Amino acid sequence: MAPDSLPAVLPGGADDPWHQRMRLERELHDGPALRLSALALRLGLLSHRCQDPALAEGISGVQDELHAVLEELRNLAGKLYPPLLDEAGLGPALRQVAEHAEAPVAIVDNSERFGTALEGATYFAVAECLAALPVGAPAVEVAITREGDEMVLAVTGLEPGATARLQETARSLGGRTDTGPSGSPETAVTAVTARIPCA
Amino acid sequence: MRVALAEDGALFREGLQMLLEAAGHDIVGSVADGDAIVRLLATEPVDVAILDIRMPPEPDGGLTAAERLRALHPDMGLLFLSHYAESHYLMRILGIGTERVGYRLKEKVGSVDVLSDTLERIDDGEIVIEPVLAKRLVEKPQGDKKGLISALSEREIDVLRLMAEGRSNNGIAGQLFVTPKAVEKHIANIFDKLGLQADTAAHHRRVLAVLTYLRSQREDG
Repeated sequence: MAPDSLPAVLPGGADDPWHQRMRLERELHDGPALRLSALALRLGLLSHRCQDPALAEGISGVQDELHAVLEELRNLAGKLYPPLLDEAGLGPALRQVAEHAEAPVAIVDNSERFGTALEGATYFAVAECLAALPVGAPAVEVAITREGDEMVLAVTGLEPGATARLQETARSLGGRTDTGPSGSPETAVTAVTARIPCA
Repeated sequence: MRVALAEDGALFREGLQMLLEAAGHDIVGSVADGDAIVRLLATEPVDVAILDIRMPPEPDGGLTAAERLRALHPDMGLLFLSHYAESHYLMRILGIGTERVGYRLKEKVGSVDVLSDTLERIDDGEIVIEPVLAKRLVEKPQGDKKGLISALSEREIDVLRLMAEGRSNNGIAGQLFVTPKAVEKHIANIFDKLGLQADTAAHHRRVLAVLTYLRSQREDG
């Protein structure tokens, strides 16, 4: 889910790496993905017109392969910049990640938008934490709010060793983090609060 | 069936037109954005309007056009096509309507049979959901409800998944090679285990119940 190394982030500029990623995702969607979907329809038409059952079965097999290629393209696009992040923001995009997590995850947000770069960097940092949750881990809550000209990201319920990426990302964005006990007595989990400047 | 379509990708739009014609449907119009389909259908209603979700007006012209179409013609079916099967969009679609709606991946309507089956089920009043999405919603429950789902048998999960796809009892029976009577029994058990009120008379209300239940799991986290 997460990139191997974080690109340097210059929030706001149209040439920063996150804007570039977003544009590449668009190009994948509007170009190859749409062409392949159209190809799947044309094969369906051929299959409908052909009288030979063996040939029709062969065409259907090729369609299945096309579906698999499209699924791979979708995964690739999601690693560049998830389309839902661009269209709907951090809350909906992280909820999608939470659906695949091995532990219960609650995403709390009020649909605030923070711009392509900040949302991109935050998404991949949080997504990496959620993807690394072991089976049966305690519940995690991710809350995203705006306080003045800061984005406040509060993540509760991670194990103490699992917060490095969040802190590193917050620092790279010119923010600061506080880490403390979550207040839950029976489990060794933490609460991380990152405050990151936003426009 | 009378249909109209709005899709901004010319190649895909033309492909879909050819497939619809081959399936014997009557294409009233074929346009490239949400505003154009609303104008077209203001005077010329169809049985089902086929809408790309991600088209102008950006970012999701298909959804905003659908809201206006539903207000103008409440009985017109709406089939949403997308490159992505995401529960976020499903919830928005269900906010527009819970009858006569469908949400499918673009490449998966690539056969005359699947396309016609999808359109007919929508025209019959059903909710049609991309199977992979219905499966994900049913099999990956979150939070406290995880325990409830794990109380279901494997067969009951199959039935719930097909319910979430908008299938009728007979449809489910056909898919699972069992009698409709057996399906009814499974559904009664599911409702019982999930603590839902059974209402076998109105099947889309039942689907809505399932989806509302799934949505509440997501919101609870």
